[in-house]
Amino acid sequence: MELLFNNRDPVYLQVVRHFKERIATGKLQSGDTIPSRRELANQLGINPNTAQKAYKEMEEQGLIVTEGNSPSRITSDTIILGRIREELLTEAVDTFLASVNNIEVPAEQLLSLIRTRLEKKQASQSEQDQGEKGVT
Amino acid sequence: MIELIDVKKRFGLKKVLQGVSFNAPRGAITCLTGLNGAGKTTILKAIMGLTPIQSGSIRIDGSAPHQAMYERIVYVSDQLTMPGRMRIADCFAFMQDYYRNWNSERANELLARFQLNAADKVNSLSKGMAAKLNLLMGLAMDADYMLLDEPFSGVDIFSREEIAAVFSSDMVEGRGIILTTHEIKEIEHLLDYVVMLDHGLITKQFASEDMRMEEGKSVVDVMREVYKR
Repeated sequence: MELLFNNRDPVYLQVVRHFKERIATGKLQSGDTIPSRRELANQLGINPNTAQKAYKEMEEQGLIVTEGNSPSRITSDTIILGRIREELLTEAVDTFLASVNNIEVPAEQLLSLIRTRLEKKQASQSEQDQGEKGVT
Repeated sequence: MIELIDVKKRFGLKKVLQGVSFNAPRGAITCLTGLNGAGKTTILKAIMGLTPIQSGSIRIDGSAPHQAMYERIVYVSDQLTMPGRMRIADCFAFMQDYYRNWNSERANELLARFQLNAADKVNSLSKGMAAKLNLLMGLAMDADYMLLDEPFSGVDIFSREEIAAVFSSDMVEGRGIILTTHEIKEIEHLLDYVVMLDHGLITKQFASEDMRMEEGKSVVDVMREVYKR
């Protein structure tokens, strides 16, 4: 697990986000056990108090459940898990919108530009993938 | 918790500490920053009773420091004080003989972790290795509090990373750490509390996560504001 921190956002929220991303991409799934607070602190190179705070936040958001002394697990609540992907995407789109706000671009133009760029990116990605396959 | 309440200290006419108050809780990492001469080292020495203060008070877990209490606090100065001709193994044996709270098991664990060789002589160590050995000697003591003076000073990037990793491990768990440094960039995400000093005065103190949360500023951002005036 590798995570680069920016120093201007609370570290514990960056850790929570890291877990959300792993859940949204299926790397962490419902019922999976996650490292102990101590292990996480060690793996990510963060202060154990920060790991503790991140886990508390995730518990409060219902992302993880901890029963007794057994390791914490990713929740099996599918509604909560389903919301994570949406939450991350909405957040990313909002950030993007804020960044183009000053350019005052009409919605249609913006949407078509996004489509073009996205298709271009996907095309070059699949080309790259094929290229890699060709080598091996 | 280590508490400093309005601590004042003079060297002759020079006011080194001009009424310093802060708390360093157990189980947290508190960082004293400041340019050279700000009073960082003096504060650590004052807590250890190594230098007298003129006024104010220092309390450890609620009471004035006394002899037995100092067994629960380890002070690691910025320089290794072991004689150069000693091998690391000799240093360990010495500590074992003289300190009740020396933890051999932890010392050996750290030796492996820091990739140091017990047969090496102290005066053959590079700066980075010496800094790691110095920190090791402190960490291997069973103590509730650790005062670390410039643990990153003059240390290469790789040793610095190894030292930083200690602060996210169970080596420091449950202990109260006070460390001084002016090289904060790579370790700022490890700090719980920051106390900024300037010419013996505290200019700012805060919890680093609160600072990020409430003002969106990194510790380095705040340092720039405080010291570049």
